Amino acid sequence: MVSFKGILNNLKQYPLEQGGPIIGWTCTYLPLEILEAGGLQPYRIIPEPTSERADSYLDPNFCPFIRASLGKVLGGGYPSLSGIVLLNTCDGMRRLFDAWRFYCAPSFSFLLDLPRVITPSSLAYFRERLQELKEELERHFEVQITQDALVEAIEEANLTRSLIQRLLLLKGRGDPPLQEADIMDILAEGWGSPRKIFNEALQRLVKELEPHPPAPLNGPKLLVTGSLLEGSSLIRLVEELAGEVVVSDLCTGGRFLEEVPPFSNPLGALSEAYLNKPLCARMWDTQRRIANIKAEISRTGAQALIYFALKFCDPYLYEAPVLKEALQEIGIPVLFIEGEYTGKVSGGVRTRVQAFLEMLERDYG
Amino acid sequence: MDRQISIRVLRWLVRRPSTYRLLGVLLEVLNRKEKNEAYKIWVRFLLEVTQKAYAHRRPVIWMNAFTPSEIAYALGGVPFMPEIIASLVSYLGWSRRPISLADTYISTDVCSFYRCALGLVLEGYLPHPDLIISSSHLCDGANKFFRYLSKLYGCPHFFLDPPYKCDTLGRRYMISQLKEVVEAASGLIHVPLDEGRLAQTIDLSNQARRYMEDINRLRQNIPSPFPGSEGLSYLAGMNFYSLGSERGVDFYRTLYHYIERKVVKAEGYLLKERHRLLWLHHIRPYYENEIFQILGDRGVAVSFEEPNYLYWPSLDPSRPWESLAEKITSNIWAGPLDRRIEAVWRMVQDYSIDGVIHFSHWGCRQSCGGAGVIGDFLKEKGVPYIILPGDGADPDNYSPGQTRTRLEALVEMLG
Ligand code: SF4
Ligand code: SF4
Repeated sequence: MVSFKGILNNLKQYPLEQGGPIIGWTCTYLPLEILEAGGLQPYRIIPEPTSERADSYLDPNFCPFIRASLGKVLGGGYPSLSGIVLLNTCDGMRRLFDAWRFYCAPSFSFLLDLPRVITPSSLAYFRERLQELKEELERHFEVQITQDALVEAIEEANLTRSLIQRLLLLKGRGDPPLQEADIMDILAEGWGSPRKIFNEALQRLVKELEPHPPAPLNGPKLLVTGSLLEGSSLIRLVEELAGEVVVSDLCTGGRFLEEVPPFSNPLGALSEAYLNKPLCARMWDTQRRIANIKAEISRTGAQALIYFALKFCDPYLYEAPVLKEALQEIGIPVLFIEGEYTGKVSGGVRTRVQAFLEMLERDYG
Repeated sequence: MDRQISIRVLRWLVRRPSTYRLLGVLLEVLNRKEKNEAYKIWVRFLLEVTQKAYAHRRPVIWMNAFTPSEIAYALGGVPFMPEIIASLVSYLGWSRRPISLADTYISTDVCSFYRCALGLVLEGYLPHPDLIISSSHLCDGANKFFRYLSKLYGCPHFFLDPPYKCDTLGRRYMISQLKEVVEAASGLIHVPLDEGRLAQTIDLSNQARRYMEDINRLRQNIPSPFPGSEGLSYLAGMNFYSLGSERGVDFYRTLYHYIERKVVKAEGYLLKERHRLLWLHHIRPYYENEIFQILGDRGVAVSFEEPNYLYWPSLDPSRPWESLAEKITSNIWAGPLDRRIEAVWRMVQDYSIDGVIHFSHWGCRQSCGGAGVIGDFLKEKGVPYIILPGDGADPDNYSPGQTRTRLEALVEMLG
């Protein structure tokens, strides 16, 4: 019996501070390697869904993740943070950054400007902003972020990516068989653990799983895309209902697993790799995102797509119907789900997912 | 069936350039008693651009409201801004149908200006764009909506993505984007980019800007010479749509003289002004509503409003790209909230403001997300403040009872 939970629980005994001063972050477009190269410990802000909602600070028509995050910040929920680095991902994130600074005045706060297009000038611009981030971190934390340290941090992060890639290939192995929802839980653990220790845990897990024979999976294959999903409950529900989630293209899923390629200029390489990663809906080119998703569908043989958007998340709300239309044109059914950031799957969503899977079994099985 | 026929007839009428010529004649007659010449220029301007957009003799360039209209004029094109058209449709009381059509397609939680525009697009009322030049500021909606339109219309789309920070690096990036986009667009429509025309456009925009500055100064007078409800409608509309055109200069010059006459006579727009308000957000509800009536009846003037705040420095026709980049990157609603707060505080002081309303338009995250912080800042300064939830274009999202209660609470705070 392989207990990935056991291995991951072991991670909890390593205090995060061990990785250096803790820096809060939110968006996967942030190259964590820069922080890690400076001996700083990144920590992903994903508040428990039960957190206060900051209702008197933000309108009720605001992304519930942002409201929960601000609620937790205001409630003093992140006492160990030495600073924050957010990105101008979306309107919500910009306003979270403002409110965080206004009400809590963290001693270090940086808003990394992330272009929405991928062009030679945007790549150069992003690289310059990464340079600025590096310099600000060096100045504030009195550290040196050397080329060598950057190279080492990229290699270590590449190792995480390749180990997760290997884990993805080991789905269906072990007892109980490893599933996509487990991998999401593993990723979540990684965002709160020192990198080296996390990599060691992943290595152990891969080693334990590899000898197991793969269990046959024969439910309908699904691709899940969308915004940030709190926890893995939706993915787990699909898997419980015998659907096979082949890709979870989510802000909290595997959206950045390609390695940062060899480089002579580490910041240039990070700029290229991060801007070119599979697009999030906040980027401008919806058509390119659709093309990526179609390519993933043909690569994995997915038969359907679940589109998940948090309520009031404009980048995804605007994109959802366009993507739905494009996929229906090629015969891929789409189930659109709006979430409230409650950490649970509501009865209504359960019924809809169940009906969707039944429909797939019937019509495509 | 009858309904289908009448829609077809309506669409046919809306899409005919001559409709706007006829409408122009009719409105000249109806407006002949109107004393505000500038208002008449706005009506003429709007009819003219709409007529040109349907006539299609010049490239029709769709833009979002915050893309500088100067770009379209410099390219010899006709700008077309769907958000402005949506506000007009809402003003005319026609937004329900397009919005409900869009609601079958897109979430009802996104901005109703875009939903209204989408409904108009889906029903085929709007003039076909030759190209789209849009910008990602101010909101995520602007970023995503126009990309979709370009697919729907099958037309090229050029995109500006203003940086968050307004420093040297940010401005340099903005300049390179402007050059890339405008050069590519000019190649596409086969209008070679004439530096002379670009400089002339910048000069026209600047002339208008000078009058805007003077108008804003005049509006500091007590009593308020010009109603905020109009500042939020055609004055803001001209801000978005006309800068870089001769009509724009004409409009602002005329409005300046009109307001100047009022100031000389110490004539306020209310009979008796007791308090002065600042309106935050670049829009108001455009459909029929009682907001300004309730305030006016209680002697509360809306003395100034955020969209008319002049945030950009004067432009230099000999440095057109730099000037445009500076205009875009100094936008107080983009970038950090600190800039907006600073501007709000300046407006409070310059216009002797007694209280502030933040209109929180459902679906506008970029603005509403700052309303709490701005309120706490103002409360610390002792300025009465309310958030007024509502919707700019969707009358079904307007709650008269709740609106009245909030406004009355504000009036009470004002004493
Ligand atoms: S879920 Fe959407 S609105 Fe919320 S932080 Fe992510 S992109 Fe922004
Ligand atoms: S009102 Fe807000 S959401 Fe709507 S177009 Fe304007 S900035 Fe965007």
